[in-house]
Amino acid sequence: MDAFLLQMAKAITAGLLMGLVFGLVALGLTIIFGVMDIVNFAHGEFLMIGMYAGLLTATVFGLDPLFGLPVAAVVGFALGIACYYGLVRFLLRGPMVAQLFGTFGLMLFLRNVALLIMGADPQSVHSGLLVGKSFVLGPGIVIEVTKLAAGGLSLLAFGFMWWVMKRTKIGKALTATALDAQAARYMGIPTERMNSLAWGLGGATVGMAGALLLNFWPVEPNVGLLFTMIAFATVALGGFGSISGAAVAGLIVGLLINIPSMWDAFSMLIGGDRLQVGLLHQFKYSFVYAAYFLIMVFRPRGLFGWKH
Amino acid sequence: MEALRQAFDFSDFPRTDLCVAVAVAVFLFVFPALPHSSFAMATMIQFLMFSVYGMGWNTIGGYGGQVDLGKAQYVGIGAYTTAVMQIRWDLPFWVSLPIGMSLAVGWSFIIGYPLFRLRGHYFAIATIATSLILKDVFESWSFIGGARGLKIPLRAEMPDFWFLQFREDYYYYYVILAFFFVGLIYLNWFRQSRIGMQLRCIKDNEEMARSLGIDSHWAKIKAYAVATAFVAAVGSFHACYNFNIEPEDVMSLDLSVLIALMAMLGGAGSLWGPIIGAAILVPMKNYLGAWFGAKAGLIGLDLIIYSTIIMAIAAFEPRGIWGIVTRIRQSRSD
Repeated sequence: MDAFLLQMAKAITAGLLMGLVFGLVALGLTIIFGVMDIVNFAHGEFLMIGMYAGLLTATVFGLDPLFGLPVAAVVGFALGIACYYGLVRFLLRGPMVAQLFGTFGLMLFLRNVALLIMGADPQSVHSGLLVGKSFVLGPGIVIEVTKLAAGGLSLLAFGFMWWVMKRTKIGKALTATALDAQAARYMGIPTERMNSLAWGLGGATVGMAGALLLNFWPVEPNVGLLFTMIAFATVALGGFGSISGAAVAGLIVGLLINIPSMWDAFSMLIGGDRLQVGLLHQFKYSFVYAAYFLIMVFRPRGLFGWKH
Repeated sequence: MEALRQAFDFSDFPRTDLCVAVAVAVFLFVFPALPHSSFAMATMIQFLMFSVYGMGWNTIGGYGGQVDLGKAQYVGIGAYTTAVMQIRWDLPFWVSLPIGMSLAVGWSFIIGYPLFRLRGHYFAIATIATSLILKDVFESWSFIGGARGLKIPLRAEMPDFWFLQFREDYYYYYVILAFFFVGLIYLNWFRQSRIGMQLRCIKDNEEMARSLGIDSHWAKIKAYAVATAFVAAVGSFHACYNFNIEPEDVMSLDLSVLIALMAMLGGAGSLWGPIIGAAILVPMKNYLGAWFGAKAGLIGLDLIIYSTIIMAIAAFEPRGIWGIVTRIRQSRSD
């Protein structure tokens, strides 16, 4: 019984901490989607570039990986703005298919530029204030400080974005653009600039998520696709365009990914022979995809969505 | 009989189209007799395979306007059915081909029913999700080889027409060429048929289509099944042609997107579009890969060029190359 509780507690804390970061990854996507109804397939590649930005600040300048956070945010912001003016502006004129393929082309482009410059090998940070440290929370439950810091800073970033969107004039202008772009234009809101700002803010949040993720997840050019899919699932769960929805859905997705570990806990409780330990680990992302599928079919608004 | 007559009825195309089509058909027939490298032969076979994939995608994605990014799961079902039946029970290709197609179509009905409740982006992402789930299942299913995949053993006698095993590539070439022409004729019927008309109506305005009494949900599911049958058939062929299949090869997201992309680039919703798209993208991808892949330090450059073209097409002419052709024609006739 003790072993069961311990395993469950481990799975749940790991899931919740990862979930906060997933939520932050999804937040960028949901801001962009909420303002302009466009799905960005290159979202995971933005994350990958954020991770590389953090990595380069750590290795080239010899700074602690924590300093990578603002750098990644700035790089992400610039990238988002550049993508908007260079590509997305043109895609918006075409049909939905063009948006899908345009951002898909962007994804291939960014991935292969990274491959050309950085090479295919996975890289990670090995030193830093937080890397490798952990503290013990109760008997047997060890929490890595990197993950705790990532979770905490994600919460802070969420709070900041929520404040920007709900309490500032810019946030109100963004929401107005999201609700009705034409009416917003009549009210004197520069919707074109709001769109580019949405891309910038989306890029900045996902860049920060990348810098946080870097502390415990190696970066390579192909890392993006998995996170793109996770972000889609998270956004669908939370409701397209909803900030608090993204936070809660991120936690749910973090728990979903840890279903295999929970299964292991149950199989230990009942007896490992009948229920195979480790059976489900290969399917850990399938649970996320299945959740996306089910939520889209049965409740397309998501859990907290206001826009469909 | 009427359907057969319709299938061979190309009379609504302008004469220049038909002249070009006949010239291309003649070229495809005599290509193996012309001097060529084995790389060119492999590229041509791939071009034909992707044309048929694209024709299949075109039914639901082009005429129906539903962007499907999960076609690779059906390639996988077709390829694995053929490989498993050949390895386990020694059944020839021509037996496993219809079985694989039926299995794929059956699966497409099961997931198509909930899938088509979604629209637009939501539909596209959901097709990716289903495809990736099936890939996970295939990767952990030891009966069909798991992540390492399957290897079809070579037969003692070659050429073997029942099992589709040949030493020379031109046999494969003519088999897939036959698929290509059957697909083209079928699609020519499809675009003029009742279901084809219904799909185009749904693409233009779904609410209008429903108000006219079209069961749009069922029409989409049927078109999706047709697309699936095309893709699964080529998947079966792929298993015999490559001998070696693994989930990463036949079921990856890249393949799904490539299929859709070729049809898109050529011009979705036109008969010639997928063929034009495949004729441009397949050789470009292969030859760029061969040129830059050989040079050290330039990995990825071929895909950078490739993705730049995709972005340019999506940004400036979303109707694809066929869209450019029709635009030029319109400006001439004005």
